[in-house]
Amino acid sequence: MSTDLIPPEVRSRLAGLRLGARRALGGQGMGMHRSRNRGSGLEFAQYRGYEPGDEPRQIDWKLYARSDRLFVREAERESPVTVWILLDASASMAQRDLPSEATSSRLHAGKVLAACIAELALRQGDRFGFIGLQAQGLRVVPPGNGTRQRDQLLLSLHGLDAGGAFPHADRLGPIWERIGAGDIVIVISDWFDEAVIALAERLAAARREVLAIQLLTVAERDFPFDGGYRFHDPETGEELLGDGRALRDGFLQRFAEAQRGLRARLDGAGIRHCSHCLDQPLDQPLRALFGSAEAVARG
Amino acid sequence: MSLSLLLPLGLAALAALLLPLLIHLARRSEQQPVIFAALRWLRFKPKPRQRIRFDEWPLLLLRLLLLALLALLLARPVLTGRDGDDAWVVVVPGVEQPERHLREAGFGQEIEPRWLAPGYPALNLPQPIEGLPAASLLRQLDAELSPGTRLVVFVPEVLDGVDAQRPVLSRAVEWRVVAGAPSVDEPAPGAPPAIHVLHDQTHAGGLRYLQAAARAWSASGEDPPVTSGSPEAPIPAGVDHLFWLSAAGMPDPVREWTRAGGVVVLSAGVDWPGQASPPQPLWRDARGRVWLEGGALGEGRVLRFTQALEPAAMPVLLESDFPQRLRQVLQGDQPPPARVSAGHHAPSTGGGPWLPVPYDLQPWLALLIALVFALERCLATARRRAVSP
Repeated sequence: MSTDLIPPEVRSRLAGLRLGARRALGGQGMGMHRSRNRGSGLEFAQYRGYEPGDEPRQIDWKLYARSDRLFVREAERESPVTVWILLDASASMAQRDLPSEATSSRLHAGKVLAACIAELALRQGDRFGFIGLQAQGLRVVPPGNGTRQRDQLLLSLHGLDAGGAFPHADRLGPIWERIGAGDIVIVISDWFDEAVIALAERLAAARREVLAIQLLTVAERDFPFDGGYRFHDPETGEELLGDGRALRDGFLQRFAEAQRGLRARLDGAGIRHCSHCLDQPLDQPLRALFGSAEAVARG
Repeated sequence: MSLSLLLPLGLAALAALLLPLLIHLARRSEQQPVIFAALRWLRFKPKPRQRIRFDEWPLLLLRLLLLALLALLLARPVLTGRDGDDAWVVVVPGVEQPERHLREAGFGQEIEPRWLAPGYPALNLPQPIEGLPAASLLRQLDAELSPGTRLVVFVPEVLDGVDAQRPVLSRAVEWRVVAGAPSVDEPAPGAPPAIHVLHDQTHAGGLRYLQAAARAWSASGEDPPVTSGSPEAPIPAGVDHLFWLSAAGMPDPVREWTRAGGVVVLSAGVDWPGQASPPQPLWRDARGRVWLEGGALGEGRVLRFTQALEPAAMPVLLESDFPQRLRQVLQGDQPPPARVSAGHHAPSTGGGPWLPVPYDLQPWLALLIALVFALERCLATARRRAVSP
């Protein structure tokens, strides 16, 4: 099933990507991320004075030669991290570009991105979980690792449909219960709704590492409408009759302003973000977030 | 040259221009619904209802053009007042060596000489057949040319195909008589039939009417070519027409003479010869009565009067045109006299000014309309994405 969701050209480009954490810390076990666990590893953590019972081979003899005192060199143990994928499934995610038959919706692009992130996590041995933000209730896939977890995730994605408004704050309890401190949270949404931004800010403030992927359609980026249209907001139900050409300049200006405000807020909260338009190749946001070696920066 | 319309009321068809405008008005597909999540950043603008928009304006313009051209076609446009050439030189067929005469007359290369024939072909084309009505063609040419054009006509000495009077044209024509080649031989018209009358005593009364007719045929002063004899007398040589005024049937010499190519006219009551074809009526008067019937016998003809040659039975004998009618039956229709000496037949001026024939533009306009229609069909049937008018 994974081959159905991720197109082959995107899959081939996933090879160079690596999920890296800036602030998130690894949990128990063997993984690829830094953690506070002490153990054998390559990364230097600290020098500690020798205590009876320490292993003799951990003594740093060069330092002894310099200082004539015995020190034990401690290294970090690289640990796995838990990646949470939050996918917005409100009605705005069902929007497609015209003509409707030839393009895919935001939700579909979000599903493909979720599958790609799951693949990356699978390769690195990290654990990954999924929460679908549906109006009638969150669809949670508890974190795990391995291909079985990936298949569970794909099954959950397969049955996910967009509709309704963003879930009310009362229903967001499972997010706080399950996402522990030090986890990576990747939120995939259009980021129009204030509730999403507030959730991300709260998560970031609560020491979770939040990454934001914004999905925009070509209609919002370019506003290519010519002629009379009846614009319909699927979440609030508002309608607006207008001539495309006359509305374009005003819309583009206000929309750009709103996007600048959004980016300022996300930057202020320390959330890494990238924006993706549906006519671009799907690995572009992943490359922006996880691509180069500099992205795996020490926090 | 000015454009004018023979039927200006035809331009009322321009009212049909309204139809493509109505067809091409943009339809009510302006309310196309679209799902738009970023609606909060769209602000309401008044609907552009006042603007009238047309779909596919190139096709609309082409259709308007087509209808305008059709209305113009209905109004019958013509070009009037065409300026003609400075001079026309025409040569009547029958002139010997026309180029030599033209050179001698001093007409250089700037004027193209033409034959006086239908269509006025150029002189370098072969000479048209003779026997054309020269006077009629001359009058036609005078009517077609513009009033200021100078006309020079080269005629042979003997001019054929003329009217009964000298032509009266609207301009002064330079009439140049030059030497002409003799025309093809045609039977000399006007030779009256030589008749020989064979009659017996009882039918002698009809002879005087035949003699009177023969006298009417011949020119004044000449002896009428009529001879007479008894039925048994041999037929003299040189006689084309024989009148058999006797009650008896045709003897064998007469029959052989007829079969060899003669024309014999029998009186009423004579038996119709067996080998001759059935008699057909040849001479009917206005009331439908048949006076003469005839048929073929061998190479000759047999004719027969239906009534006796006396005024009580045949009142047509006393008509003034009896000789001409009799001659017409015997010899067939004669061509009317049409040859004159060209010097005596120069046309005179004084004819009224002709109405200039305007140049009809309808054929060219019809061609243009066909082209525009083909273009419109190409444009209208090209593939398009949306529903097109």
